[in-house]
Amino acid sequence: ECGHISLSDSIVRLGDPVTASCVIGQNCNHLDPESEILWKLESELQPGGRQQRLPDGTRVSTITLPHLNHTQARLSCCILWGNSLQILDQVELQAGYPPPTPYNLSCLMNLTTNSFICQWEPGPDPHLPTNFTLKSFKSRGKCQTQEEPIQECVPEARQSHCSIQRKHLLLYQSLVVWVQAENALGTSLSPQMCFHPIDLVKLEPPTLGTLDPSPEGAPAQPDCLCFHWESWKPSLYMEQKCELRYQPQLGEASWALVTPLPSRTLHHKLCGLLPATAYTLQMRCTRWPLPGHWSDWSPSLELKTTER
Amino acid sequence: TPLGPASSLPPSFLLQCLEQVRKIRADGAVLQERLCATHKLCHPEELVLLGHSLGIAQAPLSSCSSQTLEVVDCLSQLHGGLFLYQGLLQALAGISPEVTPTLDLLQLDVKDFAINIRQQMEDLGVAPTGQPTQGPMLTFTSAFQRQAGGVLVASNLQSFLEQAYRVLRYLAQP
Repeated sequence: ECGHISLSDSIVRLGDPVTASCVIGQNCNHLDPESEILWKLESELQPGGRQQRLPDGTRVSTITLPHLNHTQARLSCCILWGNSLQILDQVELQAGYPPPTPYNLSCLMNLTTNSFICQWEPGPDPHLPTNFTLKSFKSRGKCQTQEEPIQECVPEARQSHCSIQRKHLLLYQSLVVWVQAENALGTSLSPQMCFHPIDLVKLEPPTLGTLDPSPEGAPAQPDCLCFHWESWKPSLYMEQKCELRYQPQLGEASWALVTPLPSRTLHHKLCGLLPATAYTLQMRCTRWPLPGHWSDWSPSLELKTTER
Repeated sequence: TPLGPASSLPPSFLLQCLEQVRKIRADGAVLQERLCATHKLCHPEELVLLGHSLGIAQAPLSSCSSQTLEVVDCLSQLHGGLFLYQGLLQALAGISPEVTPTLDLLQLDVKDFAINIRQQMEDLGVAPTGQPTQGPMLTFTSAFQRQAGGVLVASNLQSFLEQAYRVLRYLAQP
C-alpha cells in the first residue's frame, strides 16, 4: 500500500494537538526509496514530520500538529515524485467543543394537536455534529422515583423543539423531562423538570362576539358596550378564568384590564366608557384553579359606544 | 379506619378528577355522535337485548351513592369500573376508520383517569393489591355487533361517569 494515514483522533477539541502517521509499504516500488514523506494541512505544508524506516523496508512518517485551529481540515500525506507533489492519502480532521448544556427547557401541552411540545436553548455552536434528544420518564409526586421511561423524542435536524405524542403520556401523572446533547467529544444534560403535563396546558384564545341589537329597541347606554364570549371549545371541560383588556382607539391610550371573568357569558355589559368612541377589546383565558398557562390574547373585537 | 368523606382526598386531586370526568364525557359524546352519524345507531335503548347477549357488563358504583358512601370502596369501584371500560373499549378496536381516532383518545383518557385514582389510593395506602378483574373479553361475530357494542359501551360509560361526577362533586364540596 502506497500511503495510509492513521490518526490519534479524527475529532479533537479546538486548539488541541493531533498526531498522525503515514505508512508507505516496502512493496510500493515505483516510489524513490529515499524521497521524504511530506504533510499538508489543507494547502499548507506542515514541517516537523519524523520519518523512519522499519527493518522490513516500510517507511513511517509521524507528525504532531500542536494546535488544530480549523473546525474542519484535510490532512494529506504526500511525496515528491519527479518535481510534483503527489498525495498518497488524505483524511478529514474535525475540531470543536463538547456539547454545551442545553438550557431554558420549557414545555406546553397543546390540546389542538394533543401533544406535549418542549423547546430549549441549545447553547453556543460546538462546531461538531451534535445530536439532541428529549428524554423523559414517568414518575410520582415530586418526581423522587423513576418509573416507566418514555420513548425518546428526537427533534428534526437543527431544531430545538420536540413533541411527545399523547399516547405516550399520562396527563395527570408526574413526568420528568430533560434534554441530552451528544457529540464526538462528550455528552451534556439539561436540568430535569418535573410536572404534570396537563398543568402546562396553554389554551387557544376565547372567541368574542357582538350581540344582536335588543328586539325591544331599548336605547343603548352611551357609556356601555355589550358583547359575549366563549372560551375555546375543546377546553370547555376545563374550569377556567378569563380576563378582558380594552382600550379606546385614541392616540396612545393604554389598556384597561377586567379580571377575573368566567370562561363564557352570553351577555356582558362593559360600562364607564367614553361615548361615541371606538374601542378595541381582547380576552384571554387560563385553566383555573388548576394550573395552566394563559392563552394568547384573542383577535380584537372593535365596538363603538353610542352618541350621548 | 374508613376515610371520612373526602377528609384526606387532596382538593387538587378532586378537581383533576372532575376535569377528567368532564373530558371523558366529552370524548364519549363525540364517540356516540360518530357512531350515530356513521352507522345510524343512535339509540342504545334499542340494543339492550343485544347487549345482554353480548355480555356487556355495567360497572357498579353502589359504594358511591350518597346514602352509603364509603370513600375507599367508592374509589375502588371507580377504579374497577374504569378498568372494566378500558377493556371494553379495547375490544371495540377496529370498529371503523371514522371512529378509531375518537376511540383511541377515549381509551387514553380513561386509562389516565384510572391511573390517577389508583395512584391516589396508593398514596393514601388504601390501594388493593393487584389490578381489578377485567371481566370476560367481548367477542363480536359481525361488524354490526361491534358497532352496536360501541353504542352500548359508550352509553353505559356516560351513565357511569354521571354517577362518578355526582360523588366527586359531593366530595369536592368545601
